[in-house]
Amino acid sequence: MGRPRKVFFRRRKVCKFCADKIDYIDYKDVKLLQQFIPERSKILPRRISGTCATHQRPLQQAIKRARHLALIPFTTD
Amino acid sequence: MRTYELVFVVDPRVSDEDVVTLTQEYKQMISAGGSEIVTEENWGRRKLAYPINKLSEGKYVFLGITSGGGKTSLPEVEHRMRQNDKILRYLTVRTDEDLKRAARRKQASPAGADAERADSAADHDHDLDTEEEV
Repeated sequence: MGRPRKVFFRRRKVCKFCADKIDYIDYKDVKLLQQFIPERSKILPRRISGTCATHQRPLQQAIKRARHLALIPFTTD
Repeated sequence: MRTYELVFVVDPRVSDEDVVTLTQEYKQMISAGGSEIVTEENWGRRKLAYPINKLSEGKYVFLGITSGGGKTSLPEVEHRMRQNDKILRYLTVRTDEDLKRAARRKQASPAGADAERADSAADHDHDLDTEEEV
């Protein structure tokens, strides 16, 4: 008689950009980018957001550009 | 053909008229270098996400530029902006390559993306089943 194996139910994460078919991630789209910068204004890692590698790369670039133009913050104090 | 985007942030203490003349000057430099200004947007006064030179606001100007390839005057324009202390920030981005890649992906995706979504929906059902067993 084995120990009952715990079954975890985890929602499957889907890349937002694949799902919404956003192919070009614009650094000017502050509303979109803000979804990927939590409280501390860090870039949300893929392991949390579920973004695929193909989209995380341009997303990262877009966030950094927006930061340079002071559209989104580097940090929150 | 190459496309560029140029955004710059001007000190908010500079009057709107002066921003226009400044923009005009840069536009002239760009056209003189053989490029064409396709779009011009004035985003006006915006709050900065963090203070720059102890200022909390800035006036944003956006220019969309196309050039036939080859030499442009954008390096000179950037140089001018760097020397002008009324310009808080500027950013020049070449966009044609990324836009082209995006367009190609859009063309390639329709069939594949739908199939994938059906797959993930099926997986989701399965997940629900296992939960009920618990």
